[in-house]
Amino acid sequence: MEADAQLVQRCLKGDGPAWEELVRRHSRRVYNLCYRFTSNSSEAEDLTQDVFLRIYRTLASYRTAYGGFPTWLTSVTRNLLVDHYRRSRRDRMTDALEDVLPVVEEKHSPVRTPDKAAMAQELSAQVQSALAKLSPELREAIILRDLQGLEYTEIQQVLSVPEGTVKSRINRGRIELARILQEMGVGPS
Amino acid sequence: MNWSCVQLEERLSDYLENALSESEQREFRAHADSCPRCAPLVAQVSRMLGSLHSLEFEPVPPMLASKILDLTLGPRKKKIEWLKWVPILWQPRFATGLVTVLATALIIFHATGGVKKSKLTLADFNPIAIIQSANSQAHLAFARGVKFVNDLRVVYEIQSRLQPASSGTPGQQTPSATPSQQKPPNQSQQNRLTQDSFAEVAALIANARLRSAP
Repeated sequence: MEADAQLVQRCLKGDGPAWEELVRRHSRRVYNLCYRFTSNSSEAEDLTQDVFLRIYRTLASYRTAYGGFPTWLTSVTRNLLVDHYRRSRRDRMTDALEDVLPVVEEKHSPVRTPDKAAMAQELSAQVQSALAKLSPELREAIILRDLQGLEYTEIQQVLSVPEGTVKSRINRGRIELARILQEMGVGPS
Repeated sequence: MNWSCVQLEERLSDYLENALSESEQREFRAHADSCPRCAPLVAQVSRMLGSLHSLEFEPVPPMLASKILDLTLGPRKKKIEWLKWVPILWQPRFATGLVTVLATALIIFHATGGVKKSKLTLADFNPIAIIQSANSQAHLAFARGVKFVNDLRVVYEIQSRLQPASSGTPGQQTPSATPSQQKPPNQSQQNRLTQDSFAEVAALIANARLRSAP
Protein backbone atom coordinates (compact mmCIF):
# COMPACT_ATOMS: atom_id res chain seq x y z
CA MET A 1 0.00 0.00 0.00
CA GLU A 2 1.33 3.42 -0.96
CA ALA A 3 2.39 5.61 1.98
CA ASP A 4 0.24 8.60 2.92
CA ALA A 5 3.14 11.01 2.37
CA GLN A 6 3.52 9.80 -1.24
CA LEU A 7 -0.20 10.16 -1.82
CA VAL A 8 -0.04 13.70 -0.48
CA GLN A 9 2.77 14.50 -2.90
CA ARG A 10 0.71 13.13 -5.78
CA CYS A 11 -2.31 15.15 -4.61
CA LEU A 12 -0.22 18.31 -4.67
CA LYS A 13 0.57 17.59 -8.32
CA GLY A 14 -3.15 17.49 -9.02
CA ASP A 15 -3.59 13.72 -8.97
CA GLY A 16 -7.32 13.13 -8.30
CA PRO A 17 -7.14 9.35 -7.70
CA ALA A 18 -4.47 9.92 -5.01
CA TRP A 19 -6.83 12.25 -3.15
CA GLU A 20 -9.64 9.75 -3.58
CA GLU A 21 -7.43 7.06 -2.01
CA LEU A 22 -6.61 9.33 0.95
CA VAL A 23 -10.29 10.06 1.50
CA ARG A 24 -11.30 6.41 1.32
CA ARG A 25 -8.45 5.40 3.62
CA HIS A 26 -9.12 7.93 6.39
CA SER A 27 -12.78 8.97 6.23
CA ARG A 28 -13.84 6.12 8.53
CA ARG A 29 -11.44 7.16 11.29
CA VAL A 30 -12.36 10.84 11.02
CA TYR A 31 -16.09 10.08 10.97
CA ASN A 32 -15.79 7.90 14.08
CA LEU A 33 -13.79 10.54 15.92
CA CYS A 34 -16.51 13.10 15.10
CA TYR A 35 -19.30 10.68 15.98
CA ARG A 36 -17.80 9.75 19.35
CA PHE A 37 -17.37 13.40 20.17
CA THR A 38 -20.76 14.71 19.01
CA SER A 39 -22.94 11.59 19.54
CA ASN A 40 -24.82 12.55 16.40
CA SER A 41 -24.31 10.81 13.06
CA SER A 42 -25.62 13.70 10.97
CA GLU A 43 -23.34 16.24 12.68
CA ALA A 44 -20.46 13.77 12.44
CA GLU A 45 -21.03 13.42 8.69
CA ASP A 46 -21.08 17.19 8.16
CA LEU A 47 -17.98 17.64 10.29
CA THR A 48 -16.15 14.89 8.41
CA GLN A 49 -16.87 16.71 5.16
CA ASP A 50 -15.61 19.97 6.69
CA VAL A 51 -12.43 18.25 7.86
CA PHE A 52 -11.61 16.89 4.43
CA LEU A 53 -12.45 20.18 2.77
CA ARG A 54 -10.02 21.95 5.09
CA ILE A 55 -7.39 19.24 4.56
CA TYR A 56 -7.78 19.59 0.79
CA ARG A 57 -7.33 23.33 0.93
CA THR A 58 -4.35 23.25 3.28
CA LEU A 59 -2.64 20.13 1.96
CA ALA A 60 0.33 22.17 0.78
CA SER A 61 1.03 23.19 4.39
CA TYR A 62 1.44 19.57 5.51
CA ARG A 63 5.01 18.69 6.45
CA THR A 64 6.17 15.26 7.56
CA ALA A 65 7.86 17.07 10.45
CA TYR A 66 4.38 17.47 11.99
CA GLY A 67 4.22 13.71 12.37
CA GLY A 68 2.34 11.19 10.31
CA PHE A 69 -0.51 12.20 8.06
CA PRO A 70 -3.09 10.57 10.40
CA THR A 71 -1.78 12.69 13.30
CA TRP A 72 -2.11 15.87 11.25
CA LEU A 73 -5.56 14.80 10.11
CA THR A 74 -6.55 14.15 13.74
CA SER A 75 -5.25 17.59 14.76
CA VAL A 76 -7.37 19.28 12.08
CA THR A 77 -10.38 17.20 13.11
CA ARG A 78 -9.86 18.02 16.76
CA ASN A 79 -9.62 21.76 16.03
CA LEU A 80 -12.86 21.64 14.07
CA LEU A 81 -14.51 19.65 16.85
CA VAL A 82 -13.45 22.25 19.40
CA ASP A 83 -14.88 25.01 17.17
CA HIS A 84 -18.06 23.00 16.76
CA TYR A 85 -18.33 22.41 20.50
CA ARG A 86 -17.89 26.11 21.29
CA ARG A 87 -20.45 27.05 18.66
CA SER A 88 -23.00 24.51 19.84
CA ARG A 89 -22.41 25.44 23.52
CA ARG A 90 -23.19 29.07 22.68
CA ASP A 91 -26.33 27.91 20.90
CA ARG A 92 -27.34 25.77 23.85
CA MET A 93 -27.24 28.74 26.25
CA THR A 94 -30.69 29.68 25.02
CA ASP A 95 -32.01 26.13 24.94
CA ALA A 96 -34.04 24.35 27.56
CA LEU A 97 -32.21 22.54 30.33
CA GLU A 98 -33.00 19.09 28.96
CA ASP A 99 -31.24 20.01 25.73
CA VAL A 100 -28.01 20.98 27.44
CA LEU A 101 -26.63 17.46 27.62
CA PRO A 102 -25.81 15.91 24.26
CA VAL A 103 -28.51 13.54 23.14
CA VAL A 104 -27.29 10.12 22.26
CA GLU A 105 -28.97 8.62 19.25
CA GLU A 106 -30.89 5.45 19.94
CA LYS A 107 -28.95 2.93 17.94
CA HIS A 108 -29.91 -0.19 19.84
CA SER A 109 -33.03 -2.24 20.11
CA PRO A 110 -34.81 -2.03 23.47
CA VAL A 111 -35.10 -5.80 23.46
CA ARG A 112 -31.89 -7.54 24.47
CA THR A 113 -30.89 -10.38 22.23
CA PRO A 114 -28.12 -12.88 22.78
CA ASP A 115 -26.74 -11.99 19.37
CA LYS A 116 -23.12 -10.83 19.63
CA ALA A 117 -23.52 -8.04 17.10
CA ALA A 118 -26.58 -6.69 18.93
CA MET A 119 -24.71 -6.80 22.24
CA ALA A 120 -21.74 -4.98 20.73
CA GLN A 121 -24.08 -2.36 19.31
CA GLU A 122 -25.74 -1.93 22.69
CA LEU A 123 -22.40 -1.59 24.47
CA SER A 124 -21.30 0.95 21.87
CA ALA A 125 -24.42 3.02 22.52
CA GLN A 126 -23.94 2.83 26.29
CA VAL A 127 -20.31 3.89 26.03
CA GLN A 128 -21.38 6.71 23.73
CA SER A 129 -23.95 7.82 26.27
CA ALA A 130 -21.36 7.78 29.04
CA LEU A 131 -18.79 9.62 26.90
CA ALA A 132 -21.31 12.39 26.30
CA LYS A 133 -21.39 13.01 30.07
CA LEU A 134 -17.62 13.50 30.30
CA SER A 135 -16.08 16.94 30.05
CA PRO A 136 -14.82 17.70 26.50
CA GLU A 137 -11.18 17.64 27.63
CA LEU A 138 -11.42 14.20 29.18
CA ARG A 139 -13.69 12.95 26.40
CA GLU A 140 -11.30 13.82 23.59
CA ALA A 141 -8.37 12.30 25.46
CA ILE A 142 -10.25 9.03 25.96
CA ILE A 143 -11.50 8.93 22.37
CA LEU A 144 -8.03 9.52 20.95
CA ARG A 145 -6.32 6.99 23.22
CA ASP A 146 -8.84 4.21 23.75
CA LEU A 147 -11.10 4.40 20.70
CA GLN A 148 -8.73 5.69 18.04
CA GLY A 149 -5.65 3.96 19.43
CA LEU A 150 -3.23 6.92 19.20
CA GLU A 151 0.11 6.89 21.02
CA TYR A 152 0.73 9.38 23.85
CA THR A 153 3.17 11.37 21.72
CA GLU A 154 0.62 11.62 18.91
CA ILE A 155 -2.08 12.79 21.32
CA GLN A 156 0.40 15.31 22.70
CA GLN A 157 0.87 16.67 19.17
CA VAL A 158 -2.84 16.71 18.43
CA LEU A 159 -3.84 18.44 21.67
CA SER A 160 -0.73 20.60 21.89
CA VAL A 161 -0.33 19.93 25.60
CA PRO A 162 2.55 18.36 27.57
CA GLU A 163 2.72 14.59 27.87
CA GLY A 164 2.05 14.76 31.61
CA THR A 165 -1.23 16.55 30.95
CA VAL A 166 -2.21 13.98 28.34
CA LYS A 167 -1.55 11.12 30.74
CA SER A 168 -3.39 12.83 33.55
CA ARG A 169 -6.45 13.54 31.37
CA ILE A 170 -6.58 9.97 30.10
CA ASN A 171 -6.27 8.57 33.61
CA ARG A 172 -8.96 10.85 35.04
CA GLY A 173 -11.16 10.25 32.01
CA ARG A 174 -10.99 6.49 32.43
CA ILE A 175 -11.86 6.62 36.12
CA GLU A 176 -14.71 9.05 35.47
CA LEU A 177 -16.06 6.99 32.56
CA ALA A 178 -16.00 3.79 34.62
CA ARG A 179 -17.89 5.60 37.38
CA ILE A 180 -20.53 6.90 34.93
CA LEU A 181 -21.00 3.44 33.42
CA GLN A 182 -21.32 2.00 36.92
CA GLU A 183 -24.03 4.55 37.73
CA MET A 184 -25.79 3.67 34.49
CA GLY A 185 -25.88 0.08 35.67
CA VAL A 186 -23.63 -1.06 32.86
CA GLY A 187 -21.37 -3.86 33.94
CA PRO A 188 -18.85 -4.23 31.13
CA SER A 189 -17.83 -7.83 30.81
CA MET B 1 6.47 2.86 51.38
CA ASN B 2 2.73 2.18 51.40
CA TRP B 3 0.73 3.84 48.66
CA SER B 4 -2.33 5.96 49.41
CA CYS B 5 -5.65 5.81 47.51
CA VAL B 6 -4.76 9.07 45.73
CA GLN B 7 -1.43 7.68 44.57
CA LEU B 8 -3.12 4.55 43.28
CA GLU B 9 -5.68 6.57 41.31
CA GLU B 10 -2.95 8.71 39.77
CA ARG B 11 -1.00 5.69 38.58
CA LEU B 12 -3.95 3.51 37.62
CA SER B 13 -3.47 3.91 33.83
CA ASP B 14 0.26 3.24 34.16
CA TYR B 15 -0.56 0.03 36.01
CA LEU B 16 -3.12 -1.05 33.39
CA GLU B 17 -0.68 -0.28 30.57
CA ASN B 18 2.22 -2.10 32.31
CA ALA B 19 4.19 1.15 32.60
CA LEU B 20 5.10 0.71 36.27
CA SER B 21 8.44 -0.56 37.49
CA GLU B 22 8.48 -3.89 39.33
CA SER B 23 8.68 -2.25 42.75
CA GLU B 24 5.88 0.20 41.88
CA GLN B 25 3.76 -2.65 40.66
CA ARG B 26 4.25 -4.50 43.96
CA GLU B 27 3.28 -1.39 45.94
CA PHE B 28 0.26 -0.87 43.70
CA ARG B 29 -0.94 -4.47 44.11
CA ALA B 30 -0.32 -4.40 47.86
CA HIS B 31 -2.58 -1.37 48.26
CA ALA B 32 -5.22 -2.52 45.74
CA ASP B 33 -5.56 -5.93 47.41
CA SER B 34 -6.03 -4.48 50.88
CA CYS B 35 -8.15 -1.39 50.14
CA PRO B 36 -11.93 -1.96 49.98
CA ARG B 37 -12.37 1.28 47.96
CA CYS B 38 -9.57 0.83 45.42
CA ALA B 39 -9.98 -2.90 44.63
CA PRO B 40 -13.38 -2.47 42.89
CA LEU B 41 -12.14 0.69 41.16
CA VAL B 42 -9.20 -1.15 39.57
CA ALA B 43 -11.51 -3.97 38.47
CA GLN B 44 -14.10 -1.54 37.04
CA VAL B 45 -11.62 0.52 35.05
CA SER B 46 -9.83 -2.58 33.83
CA ARG B 47 -13.09 -4.14 32.57
CA MET B 48 -14.23 -0.86 31.03
CA LEU B 49 -10.91 -0.51 29.18
CA GLY B 50 -11.34 -4.02 27.79
CA SER B 51 -14.80 -3.08 26.56
CA LEU B 52 -13.60 0.17 24.99
CA HIS B 53 -10.81 -1.62 23.15
CA SER B 54 -13.25 -4.24 21.89
CA LEU B 55 -15.51 -1.64 20.30
CA GLU B 56 -15.39 -1.51 16.55
CA PHE B 57 -15.68 1.59 14.40
CA GLU B 58 -19.21 2.75 13.73
CA PRO B 59 -20.31 2.17 10.13
CA VAL B 60 -19.74 5.19 7.92
CA PRO B 61 -22.71 6.67 6.00
CA PRO B 62 -22.66 5.04 2.56
CA MET B 63 -22.23 8.14 0.42
CA LEU B 64 -19.80 9.99 2.69
CA ALA B 65 -16.64 9.45 0.60
CA SER B 66 -18.52 10.39 -2.59
CA LYS B 67 -19.86 13.58 -0.98
CA ILE B 68 -16.35 14.55 0.15
CA LEU B 69 -14.95 13.91 -3.33
CA ASP B 70 -17.74 15.89 -4.96
CA LEU B 71 -17.08 18.71 -2.51
CA THR B 72 -13.34 18.78 -3.14
CA LEU B 73 -12.80 17.56 -6.71
CA GLY B 74 -16.16 18.74 -8.03
CA PRO B 75 -18.94 16.57 -9.46
CA ARG B 76 -17.43 13.56 -11.16
CA LYS B 77 -18.68 11.30 -13.89
CA LYS B 78 -20.53 8.38 -12.40
CA LYS B 79 -18.75 5.14 -13.12
CA ILE B 80 -20.91 2.63 -14.90
CA GLU B 81 -21.39 0.00 -12.22
CA TRP B 82 -21.88 -2.97 -14.53
CA LEU B 83 -18.54 -2.35 -16.23
CA LYS B 84 -16.77 -3.76 -13.19
CA TRP B 85 -18.22 -7.19 -14.09
CA VAL B 86 -16.52 -7.24 -17.48
CA PRO B 87 -13.02 -8.26 -16.24
CA ILE B 88 -14.59 -10.92 -14.01
CA LEU B 89 -16.72 -12.39 -16.80
CA TRP B 90 -13.75 -12.32 -19.14
CA GLN B 91 -11.88 -14.91 -17.06
CA PRO B 92 -11.52 -18.23 -18.96
CA ARG B 93 -13.71 -20.21 -16.54
CA PHE B 94 -16.65 -17.84 -17.01
CA ALA B 95 -15.96 -17.00 -20.67
CA THR B 96 -16.05 -20.69 -21.70
CA GLY B 97 -19.36 -21.21 -19.94
CA LEU B 98 -20.74 -18.04 -21.47
CA VAL B 99 -19.74 -19.09 -25.00
CA THR B 100 -21.31 -22.55 -24.44
CA VAL B 101 -24.56 -20.99 -23.27
CA LEU B 102 -24.60 -18.61 -26.24
CA ALA B 103 -23.90 -21.46 -28.69
CA THR B 104 -26.70 -23.55 -27.15
CA ALA B 105 -29.07 -20.61 -27.36
CA LEU B 106 -28.09 -20.06 -30.98
CA ILE B 107 -28.72 -23.73 -31.86
CA ILE B 108 -32.13 -23.68 -30.16
CA PHE B 109 -32.94 -20.39 -31.85
CA HIS B 110 -31.98 -21.79 -35.22
CA ALA B 111 -33.83 -25.04 -34.57
CA THR B 112 -37.01 -23.21 -33.72
CA GLY B 113 -36.78 -21.40 -37.02
CA GLY B 114 -35.65 -18.07 -35.61
CA VAL B 115 -37.94 -15.25 -34.68
CA LYS B 116 -40.17 -13.70 -37.26
CA LYS B 117 -41.18 -10.36 -35.84
CA SER B 118 -44.29 -10.02 -37.90
CA LYS B 119 -45.64 -13.41 -36.84
CA LEU B 120 -44.46 -13.33 -33.23
CA THR B 121 -47.22 -13.99 -30.72
CA LEU B 122 -47.33 -14.69 -27.01
CA ALA B 123 -48.02 -18.35 -27.74
CA ASP B 124 -44.56 -18.63 -29.37
CA PHE B 125 -42.97 -18.26 -25.94
CA ASN B 126 -44.83 -21.29 -24.61
CA PRO B 127 -42.15 -23.92 -23.74
CA ILE B 128 -44.31 -26.71 -25.24
CA ALA B 129 -44.58 -24.83 -28.53
CA ILE B 130 -40.81 -24.22 -28.54
CA ILE B 131 -40.07 -27.92 -27.91
CA GLN B 132 -42.56 -29.05 -30.58
CA SER B 133 -41.11 -26.60 -33.06
CA ALA B 134 -37.54 -27.71 -32.23
CA ASN B 135 -38.62 -31.36 -32.61
CA SER B 136 -40.22 -30.85 -36.05
CA GLN B 137 -37.22 -28.74 -37.17
CA ALA B 138 -34.85 -31.51 -36.05
CA HIS B 139 -36.85 -34.16 -37.95
CA LEU B 140 -36.99 -31.95 -41.04
CA ALA B 141 -33.21 -31.39 -40.85
CA PHE B 142 -32.68 -35.17 -40.53
CA ALA B 143 -34.97 -35.89 -43.53
CA ARG B 144 -33.15 -33.30 -45.61
CA GLY B 145 -29.85 -34.89 -44.67
CA VAL B 146 -31.08 -38.37 -45.68
CA LYS B 147 -32.40 -37.02 -49.00
CA PHE B 148 -29.09 -35.28 -49.64
CA VAL B 149 -27.12 -38.50 -49.06
CA ASN B 150 -29.48 -40.47 -51.32
CA ASP B 151 -29.21 -37.86 -54.05
CA LEU B 152 -25.46 -37.92 -53.75
CA ARG B 153 -25.46 -41.70 -54.15
CA VAL B 154 -27.59 -41.41 -57.29
CA VAL B 155 -25.28 -38.79 -58.72
CA TYR B 156 -22.23 -40.99 -58.13
CA GLU B 157 -24.04 -43.94 -59.66
CA ILE B 158 -24.94 -41.88 -62.75
CA GLN B 159 -21.36 -40.68 -63.02
CA SER B 160 -20.05 -44.23 -62.78
CA ARG B 161 -22.55 -45.45 -65.43
CA LEU B 162 -21.79 -42.60 -67.79
CA GLN B 163 -18.04 -42.94 -67.46
CA PRO B 164 -17.69 -46.20 -69.51
CA ALA B 165 -19.73 -44.60 -72.29
CA SER B 166 -17.61 -41.50 -72.56
CA SER B 167 -14.26 -43.04 -71.56
CA GLY B 168 -13.08 -46.62 -72.23
CA THR B 169 -10.34 -46.41 -69.61
CA PRO B 170 -11.81 -45.72 -66.19
CA GLY B 171 -9.37 -44.40 -63.68
CA GLN B 172 -7.53 -42.40 -66.33
CA GLN B 173 -7.91 -38.68 -66.84
CA THR B 174 -11.12 -37.34 -68.39
CA PRO B 175 -11.46 -37.54 -72.17
CA SER B 176 -11.57 -33.81 -72.53
CA ALA B 177 -8.24 -33.54 -70.76
CA THR B 178 -6.39 -35.89 -73.09
CA PRO B 179 -8.44 -36.48 -76.21
CA SER B 180 -5.48 -37.12 -78.45
CA GLN B 181 -4.17 -40.07 -76.39
CA GLN B 182 -7.35 -42.19 -76.79
CA LYS B 183 -8.60 -44.21 -79.66
CA PRO B 184 -12.10 -42.91 -80.57
CA PRO B 185 -14.81 -45.70 -80.48
CA ASN B 186 -16.95 -46.64 -83.41
CA GLN B 187 -19.82 -44.08 -83.91
CA SER B 188 -22.81 -46.54 -83.89
CA GLN B 189 -21.36 -48.45 -80.92
CA GLN B 190 -21.00 -45.22 -78.97
CA ASN B 191 -24.60 -44.17 -79.70
CA ARG B 192 -25.98 -47.54 -78.50
CA LEU B 193 -23.96 -47.39 -75.29
CA THR B 194 -25.14 -43.86 -74.54
CA GLN B 195 -28.78 -44.76 -75.11
CA ASP B 196 -28.50 -47.75 -72.75
CA SER B 197 -26.83 -45.61 -70.10
CA PHE B 198 -29.49 -42.92 -70.32
CA ALA B 199 -32.22 -45.53 -69.93
CA GLU B 200 -30.49 -46.89 -66.79
CA VAL B 201 -30.02 -43.42 -65.38
CA ALA B 202 -33.67 -42.55 -65.97
CA ALA B 203 -34.68 -45.73 -64.11
CA LEU B 204 -32.32 -44.87 -61.25
CA ILE B 205 -33.68 -41.34 -60.91
CA ALA B 206 -37.24 -42.69 -60.89
CA ASN B 207 -36.26 -45.14 -58.13
CA ALA B 208 -34.51 -42.44 -56.13
CA ARG B 209 -37.56 -40.19 -56.36
CA LEU B 210 -39.77 -42.98 -55.15
CA ARG B 211 -37.44 -43.66 -52.21
CA SER B 212 -37.06 -40.05 -51.11
CA ALA B 213 -40.75 -39.22 -51.48
CA PRO B 214 -42.24 -38.53 -47.99
